[in-house]
Formats: sequence, structure tokens, C-alpha cells
Amino acid sequence: MAGKATSTPTTYSPSPTSHKTKVPIFSDDRVRPDGRGFNQCRPAFFRTGAVNAASGSAYAEFGNTKVIVSVFGPRESKKAMKYSDIGRLNCNVSFSTFANLVHREGSDHKEYTTILHKALEGAIMLETFPKTTVDVFALVLESGGSAKLPIICFSISISDNFVMHVVGDLSVVISCASLALADAGIMMYDLVASVSLSCLNKNLVIDPILGEENCEDGGLMITCLPSRYEVTQLTVTGEWSTPMLNEGMQLCLDACAELAKIMRSCLVDAAPGSEE
Amino acid sequence: MGLPNASGDLSTEMEVDAFRRLFPLRFYERHLAESIRPDARPLERARDTTIALGAVASANGSALVKIGSTTMLAAIKMEVMTPSLESPDEGCIAIDFHMPPICSPIVRPGRPAEVAPVVSKQLSDTISSSGVVDLKELSLVSGKAAWMAYLDVYCLDADGALFDAALLSAIAALSHLQIPAVAMNDDGKIVLISEEDGQKQETEAVNKEKRRLTLRSIPFSLTCILHKNYILADPTAEEESIMESQVTIVLDSSSQLISLHKAGGSVLANTSAIQDCVALTRQRVKELQSILDESNSAMEVE
Amino acid sequence: MVGLSSGEKQFIQGGIAQDLRCDGRKRLTYRPIYVETGVIPQANGSARIRMGATDVIASVKAELGKPSSLQPDKGKVFIHIDCSPTAEPAFEGRGGEELSAELSVALQCCLLGGKSGAGAAIDLSSLVVVEGKNCWDLYIDGLVVSSDGNLLDALGAAIKAALSNTGIPRVQVTADASSDEQPEVDISDEEFLQFDTSAVPVIVTLTKVGRHYIVDATSEEESQMSSAVSISVNRQGHICGITKRGGAGLDPSIILDMISVAKHVSEQLLNKLDSEIAAAEAEVEDDES
Repeated sequence: MAGKATSTPTTYSPSPTSHKTKVPIFSDDRVRPDGRGFNQCRPAFFRTGAVNAASGSAYAEFGNTKVIVSVFGPRESKKAMKYSDIGRLNCNVSFSTFANLVHREGSDHKEYTTILHKALEGAIMLETFPKTTVDVFALVLESGGSAKLPIICFSISISDNFVMHVVGDLSVVISCASLALADAGIMMYDLVASVSLSCLNKNLVIDPILGEENCEDGGLMITCLPSRYEVTQLTVTGEWSTPMLNEGMQLCLDACAELAKIMRSCLVDAAPGSEE
Repeated sequence: MGLPNASGDLSTEMEVDAFRRLFPLRFYERHLAESIRPDARPLERARDTTIALGAVASANGSALVKIGSTTMLAAIKMEVMTPSLESPDEGCIAIDFHMPPICSPIVRPGRPAEVAPVVSKQLSDTISSSGVVDLKELSLVSGKAAWMAYLDVYCLDADGALFDAALLSAIAALSHLQIPAVAMNDDGKIVLISEEDGQKQETEAVNKEKRRLTLRSIPFSLTCILHKNYILADPTAEEESIMESQVTIVLDSSSQLISLHKAGGSVLANTSAIQDCVALTRQRVKELQSILDESNSAMEVE
Repeated sequence: MVGLSSGEKQFIQGGIAQDLRCDGRKRLTYRPIYVETGVIPQANGSARIRMGATDVIASVKAELGKPSSLQPDKGKVFIHIDCSPTAEPAFEGRGGEELSAELSVALQCCLLGGKSGAGAAIDLSSLVVVEGKNCWDLYIDGLVVSSDGNLLDALGAAIKAALSNTGIPRVQVTADASSDEQPEVDISDEEFLQFDTSAVPVIVTLTKVGRHYIVDATSEEESQMSSAVSISVNRQGHICGITKRGGAGLDPSIILDMISVAKHVSEQLLNKLDSEIAAAEAEVEDDES
């Protein structure tokens, strides 16, 4: 695999002829480039049971972000692992080679992997599967940088090798993973819903896409257990004043509650007996 | 794993399941003697096959293929390269097959599946030797620029017959591929022509409008398991793990043999068995051809 | 790992509940902080921070690089943390990798600001030499020498001190090359530019033990935590980054309360740190003269 990559000559994606300069994305009418309002998430779609070979799996689609998560186990922990009277959670997040606008080697994403692990850990009843491991593997098929929407915020020179992933992808991965866990019958205290938000020129924009995230002043991602109203994971970057942060958190929490409703209805639909 | 239905006795249901796990080979042989497989297929029948084109919005061409529950997602991204000196008028196709950890319990992160590079090699060999794509069609400016088509096939769900599904998805993605309209600018770089700006720029269009590839002699394949005197077409992962001898035959649309692959195994195939397999493949090619044509015409209607 | 008997655990938890911790501190009191700067002569800037038995070193190395074409008017900053096996036997081999990665991500989140550059500790546009051609790449490396809890705050403080100790060589662009080529530059050996570190935030980690939260937890106290929130706050009192550790869920109102406590604590910490850094810098200069 690696051998082939090195033997291929260097290539580039043809870039658009019209070079648009950096435009502030928003006009006064509070409408975003893709037609959404500031407080509007992309349409969310979930389906469980996407992968037959796995104990449980889920597919999620938020606009152009497409993610599959498979759950394996509980199965025997690696031999090298020490005895543990609670179960282990093992996560992995990777991207397909065509996830982004530019073709590149598909790769594991270590940072997302640790964040996914931390986001789920608090929701799973690890004591229900002692000595064993549950594997949660995610593959981002397509990233939030949408192909149909031109990225009007930036004219990206695509030949650049600068790796850019959208934090918004991660929140989709987390929500999708909790559905996959539920599908696998892993005991959890609650579903895990995750929503991200960008602060752009003092505007709070929920569920940002690539073009928006690239010029954000601040980013916020909340992962919560909606029924218990608890935050399991919180990441804030950029500069925030306290009132702004409060408002952003509240917006995200409300969006998480909405998202959880969609997730729950997906599980209800998939439950045996619901078809009759 | 259906729920035991009300009429069936739970205890016998459990026993069948236990028997299947404990004596998989005997379990299968009992079925084979009755000319039926545990998933209710006759021995020579392939599983239901579907093709969905355009599954990846960000790619130039893509297809999602399902054979039973084996699922493959193929996507093509077109990039520009400088062609090699030996073949200045030819583009290139780089084919890669991936088995991410989501697809099967045997694949773990950091430990790629053994079969992945094998399928990857078979795939690129088949596509290049069949001549399905004329690489000259991928040329832009002789000696200066040509298309490099990155064709990546992802296995999303592995349940046997991986090569068959991977090849079908690759072919379907190629048939869906739209080569973008591009021009060469002053710096000798290839740029996209966007549809909205009508004003003529001082660029020279090399590929004026979006176009598709003409695919010639499309390869299709069928994998069969040989076990004793039985031939099982399109095996599931369970069947592959129990009975090891496999034959994969690739024919093109006019039933010419492109490749025949038998990777060892305990069963030595005799000529008649191979001929039977070829006959099965010939039938299967017709099926697959019509499924592909259907999905392509469905795309055009849209 | 810290092995504690149930008696010891209760003692720690009870102490925190009564606002009197094992080492006599109150819940929101830091251990004394010792700052040393210029500990690594080869680096452009370096500092060592000790808080109790926690001992970390941060170094800043500046190298000329090429800005990314997405942001031609900005330099680049890389943060990497290593956990030395001397700090804990568990860090031997690949054991420290996970913690190293976690700390690196948390520091990037707390120090690098938003994508537009708002709230960043270092103004990336100040690192540009020639737009689109040359910029400084700052490699910030942290090393955990000894670990007794509160690593993130200590590393944050060490990076702050190392940055104020950093001198970036003055660069003269000698020949203005045509649009395609790299311009020739002349790096001065004598003249150094000092960094403006007023925007560098401090990181305050609040560790929740029982119903209360404490600052600057020792590793014994950390072993009793349910979760911890690290908040980075700058001089203006603005939040520059938050990360959460530990799996247990937190009520949103508690997080908001933690943020306001962190803002209050950060003010004292910033003042304390600034004076310590100034004292350490003065000492270095005394030694040199």
C-alpha cells in the first residue's frame, strides 16, 4: 500500500479559475451560505444496523458528513492487558481517502480517538462486562467540507498538504457511536449526544461546516447525556467572554436535547416489533 | 439471528445453533447433501446484488455495492499529474482496497487484514489487464498533464466474496465517473472551468465539458467454493472460513476469460469443475451487466 | 498509579470537604511555584516550573519555515509534550504516550486559540517574515520530569515562562526574489526580538472531588477525582479554552460555576506567575552580567 503511494508521481487537484477572496460569510439577514439559520443544525439522519459483521453499528448523515461506527464485543481483552474488574473501552476514528476535498492517505485520527473515548466512557456501564473489551471503531466516509456548496469563505489552494478536519465531524462520530453501542446492547446510563458551535464575529453559529469553522473566532463542542442533563465532554477553543460562553453552552445543550429525540426515535424504529 | 418463532421449540432451535458452532463442517455437509445452503440459497445462486451510483458527493465518481451483506464503497478522485516519459499520452489509475476496522471483527486498528493487500493487487491487475479503461482517454496535454484517477474501494461490511464486490464497485464507480471540465492557465497549471463564469478567460480549454469514460470489455467476477464435489457460488464469510478452496473467475462482457485465480486449498480442481465454475460465471456476468445497466440508466433519468 | 487505603481516601475526601487539605492548603490555594528560566541554552527560550513534587520543563525552538498556503500571513506553532519515564514507572516504553497525547491536545486547545486567531497565546501574524514565503515555526516542547498532579497547569505556566524567555533572531531580507523563489534571508546572531507574552493565558484546572472542587491537586488527590475541568483564562478575563478530563458527567450549572471560580483564581495566579517570571529573568540577567 505504502509502496504504491511513493511510486505515484505528485499530483494536484485542479483549482477553480475564479479566485474569490475572503468574504465575510454573513449578511444581515442571519442566513448562512447553505441556507440555514444561525441556530439551525443540518438535517440529521441515523440508522442502526449498518454493518452485519459487527455486534452493533450505526450510520449517521448530517448534511454531507457521513459516518459509520461499528461496535465489536464485549470480547476478550488483549493478552497483554492486566486483569480488570471493569470492562475496557477501545476506540478508533479514521478518515477515508475521499473524506476531504483533496485525495490523501486515509488515516487514523489520534486526537479524535481520545476525545471519542472520553466522551463515551462516562455513559457506559463498564462494570457490566468485566475482563473484556468493547471496541468502538468509526470511519468518516465524507467530511463536513461539502462538495456541492462552494467554500466561499476561502479560496483553497488544494495542492496544499495541510490536513484539515472539521470538529463538526467529531460530534457526529460521538452521537453515532452511542447509537451503535445501543444497537450492540451495551449497557449505558443514557444516550450520548454531541453538538458543536462556532463563534464568528460575535455570532453564534450551531453545527458549523468546514467553511465556517475555518474562520471562527471560537469553537465549542459539548457532549452530554441528554436525559440526565450532564456534560461528559467539553472542549472550548478561541476567545470567549463569559456571557457568550453561557449562551453558547445553552444553545448546544438545547440542540443536544433535540438531537437525542431523533436518536431515540431511530432506536425505537429499529426495535423488533415496531414494524408490526 | 431471527427470534425463535412461536411454533418452533426453543430447545431444538438452540441445539441447531450449537451444532452449527461446534461442527460447522458437518452442519454444512448436511445442507449440501440436500442441495441447499443455510441461507436458503441453492448452491449455485449468488446473493442479491444492488448498485447505488453517486454515493459520495465529494468524489468525481462513486458507487455503493451490496452483495448480500458484503458492502463496498468505491470512490474516484481525479487529480492532475505530469505523465511519465515512456507514455506521455496516458493517464493513470491508482487503485487501493481498504479494510477499515469497522468492516469485520478480525480487523483491528493498526493491524490491517491479511487479505486487503491481496484483493488490492488482484483488483489493479484485473482492471489494468482487462483494458476496461483506455488510459489515453485520461490524457490532457501530451507530455504535460494527464489525469491521475485515485480509485479507492472501502469495504464497509465484510461477509465473503470480497473481490467480487470490490471489482463490481470499482467498475460501477468508473461507469459513474465524470471527468471535470478543465483548462490550462498561463502557468501551465490545470484549473477547473466553473459553469457560471461565462466570460472567456485567457485560458485554453483542454477538456471542454464534463464527459464520461467509454468502458470497453467490462470485467465481472464470480468466486466459487470447491468442496468435495460441490460448487458453492458467491460464498459468505462463514462458508469461506469453513471450506477453504476457492476459485475466482473474471470474464468480460463478451464472456472472454480475463483471469482465473485459485489460491491453493485442499481441494484440487479438475477440469470439469473449472468448466462448471466458468459456466456459472458466464450466467453471473449477464446478471451483473443488467444490474449495472439498470443503475446507470436510473442515474440518467434523474 | 497511586495506591491508597480506604482510610487514606476518606482522609483526603474529608479534608477537602472541610476546606483543609492534607498538606494544609485550602481548596483554592496553589502550592508554592518556583520558576527558573533559561535552563536549556540551546533553545531560543526555556523554563522550568516546580510546584511541590511536580517538575516540568518547557522549551521553545524557532525555525524558519514556509507558511501554509491557507494562511500565508501566519506563522506556525507546534506543541508537543513528553512524559519522562523518570516521572513515573508507568511512563516507561510506550506507557506515557497516551498521557503525552492528551496533554498536548489540551495545551493546543488552551493556547492556540480559534482558527481566526482570536484568543491565541501567540499572535501568529507576528511570526511572519515575508508573507507567503517565510515565517517562524515555533516548536514548543514540554517535558514532565516528575509528576505529582496538576501537570497541565504546570506545563501551561512553563510554556508561558519559556515564551517570555524566548528571543527570536532578527531577520533581514537581503534579496527580494521574484514571485516564485524563496527570498534570501539573513539571520542575525546578535539581535533578538522579545516576545509579547501579555496575551498568554494561564491554565487553571479544577478537580472535582466529592461535591467540591480544588485547584492544584496532588496525584493522591487526583486519584480521588470524579472529573476535572481545565480552563485557560487570559489577562482580560476572557476564556481561551476549556478541556474536560475524567469520564463522569457534570451538571452544566456546575461547569458555569467552575468557570467563574477559575476566572477569580486565574487573576491571582497570573500575578504570582508574572512576578516569579520577572524575578527569574532578572536572576538570569544578573548571572550574565
